[in-house]
Amino acid sequence: MERHARPVTGSAVQSAGSLVSAQKMAGYGVAAVAAVLVVYPVFFLLQASLDVGDPQVRPPSAYGLDNFGGLFQFPQILLNTLTVSLAATVMALLFGFVMAWILSRTNVPGRRLFEQLMIMPYYLTPLLGALAWGLLGAPESGFINEIWRALGGRGYLIDINTAYGIAWVMALFEGSVAFVMIAAVMKSMDPAFEEASQIIGASRIRTMLRITLPLVAPGVLGAAIFVFAEMLGSFAVALVLGLPSRYYVVTTAIYQLVQQYPPKIQTAAAMGVSLFAVMFVMLFVYRRIVMAGSYVTITGKAFRPRVIDVGPLRLVLLGICVLYLFAAVALPLVTLLYASLQKIAVIFPAAENWTLDNFRTAMSMNAVRSALGNSLLLGFGTATIGVLLMGLLAWVIYRSRLPGSGLIEYVVMFPQAVPRLVFAFGLMWAWVVFPIPIYGTIWLLLIAYLTVFLPLGVRTIAGVMLQIDKSLEECAQMCGASWAFRMRTVTVPLLRPGLIAAWLLLFIASIRELGASILLMGPHSKVITPSIVESWFGTSSELTAALALIQTLVVALAIIVLIAVTRRIGAHPID
Amino acid sequence: MQAPLSASSPPKPHIEVDHLVVNFGHVPAVRGVSFSVLPGEQLTLLGPSGCGKTTTLRAVAGLEQPASGEIRIAGVPAYSSARGINVPAEKRGLSMVFQSYAIWPHMTVFDNVAYGLRVRRTSAPKIAEKVNDALDMVQMREFASRRAAQLSGGQQQRVALARAFVFSPAVLLFDEPLSNLDAKLRADMRIELRDLQHRLGITSVYVTHDLEEALAMSDRIVVMRDGLIEQVGTPDEIYSLPRSVFVADFIGSANLIRGRYRPDLATDNLIALETPAGHVIYGMAYGRPVGSELVVSVRTVHLGISSERPARTQNVWPVRVEQTVFQGDFTQVHVGWGDQRLVARCAAMEPIAVGREVYLTIEPRRVVLLGE
Repeated sequence: MERHARPVTGSAVQSAGSLVSAQKMAGYGVAAVAAVLVVYPVFFLLQASLDVGDPQVRPPSAYGLDNFGGLFQFPQILLNTLTVSLAATVMALLFGFVMAWILSRTNVPGRRLFEQLMIMPYYLTPLLGALAWGLLGAPESGFINEIWRALGGRGYLIDINTAYGIAWVMALFEGSVAFVMIAAVMKSMDPAFEEASQIIGASRIRTMLRITLPLVAPGVLGAAIFVFAEMLGSFAVALVLGLPSRYYVVTTAIYQLVQQYPPKIQTAAAMGVSLFAVMFVMLFVYRRIVMAGSYVTITGKAFRPRVIDVGPLRLVLLGICVLYLFAAVALPLVTLLYASLQKIAVIFPAAENWTLDNFRTAMSMNAVRSALGNSLLLGFGTATIGVLLMGLLAWVIYRSRLPGSGLIEYVVMFPQAVPRLVFAFGLMWAWVVFPIPIYGTIWLLLIAYLTVFLPLGVRTIAGVMLQIDKSLEECAQMCGASWAFRMRTVTVPLLRPGLIAAWLLLFIASIRELGASILLMGPHSKVITPSIVESWFGTSSELTAALALIQTLVVALAIIVLIAVTRRIGAHPID
Repeated sequence: MQAPLSASSPPKPHIEVDHLVVNFGHVPAVRGVSFSVLPGEQLTLLGPSGCGKTTTLRAVAGLEQPASGEIRIAGVPAYSSARGINVPAEKRGLSMVFQSYAIWPHMTVFDNVAYGLRVRRTSAPKIAEKVNDALDMVQMREFASRRAAQLSGGQQQRVALARAFVFSPAVLLFDEPLSNLDAKLRADMRIELRDLQHRLGITSVYVTHDLEEALAMSDRIVVMRDGLIEQVGTPDEIYSLPRSVFVADFIGSANLIRGRYRPDLATDNLIALETPAGHVIYGMAYGRPVGSELVVSVRTVHLGISSERPARTQNVWPVRVEQTVFQGDFTQVHVGWGDQRLVARCAAMEPIAVGREVYLTIEPRRVVLLGE
């Protein structure tokens, strides 16, 4: 075998002297795009919140903190927000903790199946839940209250258009997020901790109080803070259920301030900045807690937790699981289907009340067809461009070791801490003055989606990327492959399942997006989810139910493909 | 090592590392390391985990960005802080075997091995020929169409090896390639690797924390500690003449004896030191500077235990057996010697009862003065 077939040559040295490589250009290119997407609207949001001059004049004629001081004129909104968020957090944690305990620590039948079903509320979206529970629990026409009166009750049994009604629906859906977080903590605990306690002679109760609870406490506390921050920023449920009774929380108040005439942009901006400052602090605390409490999950490996034989109690616990999924998944879907098939939705319909007209109308209305078309177009566009952009970003952040990649990670993850509605408000305010007229077009929505979904896409791809041993790429480099060549032959093929999953998640998220779209869509760039909300307030609830079901069907198809793909990821032999 | 025959001048080094410094953030990982590798030589970087050996190797490979220093390959700078040169890894003309093997799971064995040739735009028939030759050399030809997931650890190791040398790189780098194999397979692969390296005649740098591996495979060993070089030498030099307490301790088991220098007792070319307990022990300085407080090292295998008084007069002491540990091929005998315990490694023999009085002997040339 010949030796020194490919020695280092002088030209190789010279070409390295020039600092501009394809790798660096691509890396800094996508980093710059991400920075512009995130920083540009945040800048305008901050500017508006500090603008105390004439609202009609841009750029601002005077700066000050008066807008923030003015927020104290709205104590009711603050109180409402805290009431709803706290109540919803408590309930969501209760759902999440109980379900996590039942499904990971007891021998309830069908645990595996239930565990997989637990993500369904998350996919169903709070908006769908709010619409369904609006039909079920409205004080006058709600199905539950109709049944109550038919049984001889007076007035109404439940009123969903109240703080606790809103919190209930929010908790039902955020409960599955709390479940995922708490179950992960419970599963990552080495059962040897508990076994050691029992071997030494501690009773079961003592073991539970002294060993189990302290070990899972940081994880539960982390989940509590995370869920609370999410509740503060949630929008759809409070909008659908709170608006009829003029019950405002901070997000719906911001929406109202921007939409009303004349709009109060400066107050809304101050409110938005305050909200995201609070959420930012909470997410920071959350990260600290998760890191400090990491002694539980230090190995990061999933153990098989010890399963407690609960005896005949199994059926009771099974009942709890069924009940939760019934309230969060089955009941809303059945309610919407039931309503969508009637001329006027009532709980005891006459035979001639049944109809398919709502679906026919939904599919024939130009506005709906164009909204659905726009949403699909945006879904494809966001997912396709997003995978490319976010894949490169994930690579730059977690693989490239380019200087400044830590900073890029912060920028990319920033939208996580900002409610989408607030971000969209910043975007709106920023792009109104942009020299290219994209305000009110589908392009602005594309930019908005690419921005607010940065954390989702980057995290999904990074999750798969971090599973791929770094030496697989380094080895290609040592074989002499250039950056572009090893991306094409090693990195991308190994990432393919992650890229497909990210594409589908971005597609689903785009189709369902409400908070950003509702502010940014123009009369000629309507998309489906805000159209559903408009229809709820503007036309009939029956037609709305049909629309919501059509949207759910589109998303469900994407989810089925997603599940099929993620199954394949699990089976993919990545070292 | 068997240095390549050269007419007059010494052979030019193939790889030269000069004052290499690598930092991880603000933590220095390599703190000024210099060594060179001759053409065809197998050099091993040996040391405990965290000593900077892998980082040094990766810096030579181009996978780690040094903070300062210079790395030359065949006389051409691949990295130089002074001249602002940093040739990317793919252009250094090296090859590497990774600790994790890094067999690409989405390719067959054949495609894995062919990768480096495809990068170099080799023609298809030539690729087939070279890949098959390489797979023959590692006895993996029959697995050519398999995927990585269907291979055992040892088989993956062989594929990684074939992939690394198939495109005739100038230098092969090995990053603890055997550490994930079980003990038996590791011993076999050691011999195979050494054999292959000789057949290819390729310059190689090998990183390991395994002493036996380093002794068995290397022409020369660089012992590293805390980002610095402790000692450079042939396996025999490193083993027999450790330069420091660290090397003596790390390279196999050694007894360390401290004492005061007694120039008055020195005879021939031996040095003498007196331990705090009053024992006088004779050893050799091997050209190292002799101070007033000395440390010497004696390998456990070089301590003799006998029940009869030996003929020699120097380095003989009556001692008491305090503990014996049977370890299969040998027995560890702990004896009380002044205020310390010495450990002797004796070939398996009839058991020695604890508490027995025996004679301890050490040849003076095995008592090696350490520099500190």
